[in-house]
Amino acid sequence: MALQIADLTKRYPTGTEALRGVSLEIEAGEFFGLLGPNGAGKSTLIHCATGLARPTSGTIRVFGHDVVDDGPQARLSVGLAPQDVNLDWFLTAAETLDYHGGYFGMPRKERRARTKELLDSFSLTAKKDERTRTLSGGMKRRLILARALMHRPRLLILDEPTAGVDVELRLELWQYVQRINGEGTTILLTTHYLEEAERLCDRIAFINGGQIVAEGTSQDLSAEFGVASLEDAYLELVGRNELSRAKIADVAP
Amino acid sequence: MSTAQIRFLSLLRRELNRFFKIKRQTLGAPLLETFLYISVFGAALGSRIKELEGIDYVVFIVPGLILMAWAINAFSNNSSSILQQKFQRAIDDQLSSPASPLELLLAFSFGGFLRGLIVAILTFSAASVLVDIPVKHALVLLPALFLVGFFFAQLGVLVGVRAEQFDDVSFAQTFVLQPLIFLGGVFYSARLLPEPFETLTQINPVYYMIGLVRYGFLGYTEANVALSLTFLSVATFALFAVNYRLFATGYKLRA
Repeated sequence: MALQIADLTKRYPTGTEALRGVSLEIEAGEFFGLLGPNGAGKSTLIHCATGLARPTSGTIRVFGHDVVDDGPQARLSVGLAPQDVNLDWFLTAAETLDYHGGYFGMPRKERRARTKELLDSFSLTAKKDERTRTLSGGMKRRLILARALMHRPRLLILDEPTAGVDVELRLELWQYVQRINGEGTTILLTTHYLEEAERLCDRIAFINGGQIVAEGTSQDLSAEFGVASLEDAYLELVGRNELSRAKIADVAP
Repeated sequence: MSTAQIRFLSLLRRELNRFFKIKRQTLGAPLLETFLYISVFGAALGSRIKELEGIDYVVFIVPGLILMAWAINAFSNNSSSILQQKFQRAIDDQLSSPASPLELLLAFSFGGFLRGLIVAILTFSAASVLVDIPVKHALVLLPALFLVGFFFAQLGVLVGVRAEQFDDVSFAQTFVLQPLIFLGGVFYSARLLPEPFETLTQINPVYYMIGLVRYGFLGYTEANVALSLTFLSVATFALFAVNYRLFATGYKLRA
């Protein structure tokens, strides 16, 4: 099992309860999607799984390692591409990858080879000595994904990886993550693009108000909500079914 | 090399890389500042004061300037680096890695410690061009400077972790650290001060640090050397323990 979450709760000091008893299991090798409106708890769940937030109660295991009691071992298997661009301004693109590899204990020779490989794969070789803040938005996004992959994680967590990127980069990223998923990497994806989730994910969970409210394949979820598409199922979830394209088509002149 | 050593060295390299990339600000500016202090206090005032406690005035102030260079640079490097990374959330890359709290704390600490060391060496070298600086008690001087550097490196880490905005860091440096250092006797002997300022100076911890460093260089002190060294060791270790606790619990680092 790649990720096992049992009865996870997270309450922030402000009193906000971001997660309320989340339980979820993701098999090794799966491509899993987590969908939900803003503020539903997606990023908090990811932060709890990567050690960036401390769970209030419940457990999370990454490949059998508890993220609290055995944090370093659990984090070793995880690669995180966060929602926000959090690159270090002082580093170049190549240094960003090299240091990240170092934080995960990769020897220098291996880091050099892997850095070169990833810079090539993500079309960043020409920019390798540029400081990260000078890169374009799309390049920053690619570098964040390359960084997450640097230490060859067994579980890759992508938090809205295609938010704000152009069509060609989105398609490039899709191809890349599908390829590494095919090579055995487990992927947890959060996205607001339902087409992205439908196209990439084996299974999808809906999260709302800090709770998993539905889980299954795209077809399972449509059936569960009694609608024709994943998008309509999502609209049912957030209580906005009046926005359904089917309904809009009905009333359109 | 073990994976733990690779991790630690990578974390430390990141800290060193940062200040070397902005060396005009992190190394050049403090060096210029020291030159200005020596010029103003040494050349201008020194021509009037000549000697203090039987020591040439310029030579008398150099140990304090070296301490000040190390202390302020160790502090400001760590507080700024940590806050900046928290601000950009770039620190999440280190926090979501397998690095332990101890590895993280030591890497952040030694970043500022080493920057302070470099500036202190440059200050000593620059001052040595102008005047002869003796080293009377190296066995006191080296541990004293090491502890002072590490103490202020820890203080920088503490302020950086707790800070939520850049104002918090500059407040600590401008309104707490610099007054304590200036009033700790870098430029004068506390014995020259009228009461109650002579007594008040004795409750300033930096006064004892300057005393130790001045004793190491010049053999002159106004305080008990062994007691000062013991107190400084305990304070440094206590601060390190507090910071370790912050990193272990993730205070203001992990949500």
